[in-house]
Amino acid sequence: MSEQSEPIVAVDGLVAEYDARGGVAVALAGVDLRISRGERLGIVGESGSGKTTLALALGGLLPGNCRLSSGVVSSCGTTVRAGDGRTARADELRTLRREKIAFIAQDPAASLDPTTRIGRQFAVAMKAQGRPMTPDEIDEALSAVRIERPGEVRRLYPHQVSGGMAQRIAIAMAVARRPQLLIADEPTAALDVEVRSEVLSLIVRLAAEHDITLIWVSHDIPAVRRWCTRAVVMNDGRVVEQGPVDRVLVEPEHPYARELVNALRAGAGAGEQR
Amino acid sequence: MSGVLRWILTRLLVMGVTLLGASLVIFFALRLLPGGYESVVLGPLASEEQRQAAAERWGLDQPLWVQYWEWARGALTGDFGISLISQVPVLDELQLRMPVTGTLALMALAAAVLVGVPLGILTGLRSTRRSGGAAGRLVAGLGISIPEFVLGPAVLYVVSVRMSGFGVGSLSRLTEDPVGLVRALVLPAGVLAFSCVAVTARTTRDVVMGVLVEPHITAAVARGERPWHIVRHHVLRNSAVPILTLLGTITAYLLGGAVIVETVFNIPGIGSYMITGLGRQDYAVVQASVLLAATLFVVINAALEIAATFVDPRVSSKGRR
Repeated sequence: MSEQSEPIVAVDGLVAEYDARGGVAVALAGVDLRISRGERLGIVGESGSGKTTLALALGGLLPGNCRLSSGVVSSCGTTVRAGDGRTARADELRTLRREKIAFIAQDPAASLDPTTRIGRQFAVAMKAQGRPMTPDEIDEALSAVRIERPGEVRRLYPHQVSGGMAQRIAIAMAVARRPQLLIADEPTAALDVEVRSEVLSLIVRLAAEHDITLIWVSHDIPAVRRWCTRAVVMNDGRVVEQGPVDRVLVEPEHPYARELVNALRAGAGAGEQR
Repeated sequence: MSGVLRWILTRLLVMGVTLLGASLVIFFALRLLPGGYESVVLGPLASEEQRQAAAERWGLDQPLWVQYWEWARGALTGDFGISLISQVPVLDELQLRMPVTGTLALMALAAAVLVGVPLGILTGLRSTRRSGGAAGRLVAGLGISIPEFVLGPAVLYVVSVRMSGFGVGSLSRLTEDPVGLVRALVLPAGVLAFSCVAVTARTTRDVVMGVLVEPHITAAVARGERPWHIVRHHVLRNSAVPILTLLGTITAYLLGGAVIVETVFNIPGIGSYMITGLGRQDYAVVQASVLLAATLFVVINAALEIAATFVDPRVSSKGRR
């Protein structure tokens, strides 16, 4: 099978457990998922459904109190966890994160180092990737995310820019690394309504331009329907429905997915009336 | 005027006001002590006339605010008056003793920075492992629970009875034999530094642990940065401000601890000078010693606070809001 036809993400029967007071809490209860290269996949579900745990598991980024107890997860050709329980070595995971996967976090301002000027942390991050960038190249990367006067922004600290601009900077840093897979976990949750759509269109445009597969974790079903090609609905650590967005998010078959879509439609309708 | 410069000038103004307040407290608190210099010098059997004559001679019969004004005006020009007991200018005494206490405090502070900070960083980075957490707690527990007046005599006993090599008590002048002075102060500084190292290590550990769970560290891990790269570029800088604040607090502690250590080791420093002066109600000596300690504390804290603005730009912007 050629690299192009192989799925970029393959998850089989993945179980993840968090240490909890008096036992364990199951976050993923046997997740199966395939993602093809170039796809834009939206993962939706309630809080606690396992969306973020799944996204983190793809990069081997689960916190210390969480373990993958069974199943297989492979991202961009790296086996994060094999069926026999073997996990990727720390240096393999670092290479995966450095060269193939990029994450965009929920809170853009918090994901930038508060003590370092934006230009400097951009340069340090790129140097750490083994792809040093000149100030002009950084300006170009910032311009690509529609930041005006990038030379001035480079000299600012994260607390001196707006949430929307911080998120655009985080997107620029993620995309400048030319990853194969971009995982955005609620990338607009901390932003004002006005800039959400702008940031989302930016992510989608850059992913398309640079041939990056996009996984987008979100509560925002209308936005997922608008920007993604395929959707996955999660509930209680399981994938309950997956398929093209026009089917899964319009006429879902699974009762939970139907309930979720209807509830969010009703919420959106009430919001519009307000 | 730039924001940072305005912030620094504000801090300097606050420093001046703090010192003014400290000088008032020092001066008037001493006058609240029962007895008074005349009683200490003349004894309980002196007549009222004798007391009045002594008070007149030393200007103690003047209104308190006049006495304060005279003292504060002199202090501003470096004239701290004359010791009522020894009749030696206080400034001369301070100039002799300051290098000793300064060297002692600096050595202890250096130990806190050079041993406590790296130890705290290492145990903080290893906090997820049991060994890291246990080591951090052990060092902190020992350091915090053993006070100088216990550790000092114990060290003195062990060194004087069991070992040789450190000449406790034979102090040289800083200008004549700095190495000799440092060598003689190794043990007292070690005793003074013991709890400082522990507190610094423990606090640094907690600070590092707090920084490690910040989202920008997770972001750096997610970018595949190497652990030491993350420590160097993100953890150390973000941990620096609380550690600088702690060092300011430790400075105050060192000035207080120096009093005990100098007494235990019989070191002629500012601390022992102040204790002697306090016992005899030698106003000029106590006022000058405490004001000097307060000035050092305020200046060092202001310097650390200004340094913090260069490490973390949010510090000065918070101040401006």
